Formats: sequence, structure tokens, C-alpha cells
Amino acid sequence: GDSGPLASAIRSKLVAALQPTHLQVLDESWRHGGPPGAESHFSVVVVSERFAGLAPLQRHRLVHAALQTELAGPLHALAIVARTPQQWESDSHVPPRPPCLGGSK
Amino acid sequence: MSRVVRAAWRLGFAAARGPVGRPLSQAATGAAEGGGAAEGGGGGGGGGSGSREAVERLVRAHPVVVFMKGSPEQPLCGFSNAVVQILRLHGVEDYNAHDVLQDPDLRQGIKNYSNWPTIPQVYLNGEFVGGCDILLQMHQNGDLVEELKKLGIRSALLDAEKDQDKK
Repeated sequence: GDSGPLASAIRSKLVAALQPTHLQVLDESWRHGGPPGAESHFSVVVVSERFAGLAPLQRHRLVHAALQTELAGPLHALAIVARTPQQWESDSHVPPRPPCLGGSK
Repeated sequence: MSRVVRAAWRLGFAAARGPVGRPLSQAATGAAEGGGAAEGGGGGGGGGSGSREAVERLVRAHPVVVFMKGSPEQPLCGFSNAVVQILRLHGVEDYNAHDVLQDPDLRQGIKNYSNWPTIPQVYLNGEFVGGCDILLQMHQNGDLVEELKKLGIRSALLDAEKDQDKK
């Protein structure tokens, strides 16, 4: 499920880089025809004060930077929700995930 | 379908395309599919289609440029399809779309250029805007209508709202 080795690596890298107040790491490989636990397509919800004052592009770049090694390797696709704690407090709704909300290599 | 037949089909399909989704390269790239392992490398340099100069020319060639998998008529990836659908909602059908699956040098080159690891990639007025997550956000918060307006493109959604008011 969402506790495989890549999920754990993603989680610990994001915690170290962004000190999130809320973090959700979901393996969505099954949406792309992968076997259970394929760990190739992930979606992350990251709530961090580090995002304050940053445009969405810059926020996503921070997430990519934290996951540079994974993205150069087995992480094939990544969907990102990046909000500040204030934004999360007023809106904790995550857009529904059709099989295609993110980018893949 | 065999790889050769599939590549030929794509070539034929690409040749039939009209002004929307101008393909970057008409060259058959049956061999390109095997390059999965090469993705992680730092290739795309030199004077090839993935060089900074070549990519720069592409992103500046039109106010709206999309690098995607497949074409607007036939996206080959759900993420790329999402970008096409969002643009369509705004009535944006005239843009340059480049199928990175047809050109592995471009596929790597565009990632190097924007320093962004994934496809699709959207460029407005030569500037990298983001992938499909960001485009969706911009669509939902009204930013996309504004950015299109700056390019002299009137979003179809503005007219849709007008019609609503009349009822």
C-alpha cells in the first residue's frame, strides 16, 4: 500500500526538507495499471509554512528538489498539492484524483 | 499491434493533423520506445532537437505551447489529456503541441530546459507555467483566464458566464 520503501523514502525526504504540518503520501500506481504496491505513481499533499509567499510553480519545485533522487529513478509520476497551514485550515479539500492529475516522465 | 505498425500509424496520423497540434518531427521513431533506461541520463545536448536553442525556438514559436504525450486529438497519457481538456474548456484550440514520445531528445531536452521532471509542460508566451496540477489550479482560481487575456486570448468561459447572466 502506501508504506512501501519508495513511499517511506518520499515521506522522510519531504519531512526533512519541508517540515510539513500535514503530509499525505499516496501510491497511485494502481490507477495507471500497475500491480498493487507498484510504487511508480504517487500523489502527495504537503502542508508547510515553507510555501508561504511562493507561487505554485515555486512550491512544486521545492517538492521536486526534495525528491530529486527518486524522480531520477523509480518515481515515474507525481501529483502535488502544496498549501500553507493557513490555506489548509480554510480549505482541506483535495481535488478528486481522476487517473490523470499530475505529470509523468 | 507490432511496434513497426504502431509507429507507422502514428506517422500517418501526425501527417493528417491540421493546424492544431503541429507535430515537431515527422520522422518515424519506432526505435525511440526502447529508450526507457536512457531517460535518467543528462542527454539532449549538442545541436539536436533537445538542445537549449532548439527548445527555446519551440517555446517562443506561439503564445501557447504544450509538450505532451500524444497529440491534442489523441492524448496518450491521462495527465496530458487533462491539459488538452482544460485548454479546450477555455476555447483554446490553436496552440503548438509537441509529442515528446516522437522525439526522445526533445523529451529529455524539455525537462533540462525547464528543470522540471515531468510531462506535460505548458508554456505561455515562452514562459514555463507548470504541469497539469498547476494548470488545473489556475483554471479553478481564475488565473488562467487572466493569463490568456494577457496573451490577447479571450477565454470561452467569459462568454459562457455572459450567457448565464442573460437567463
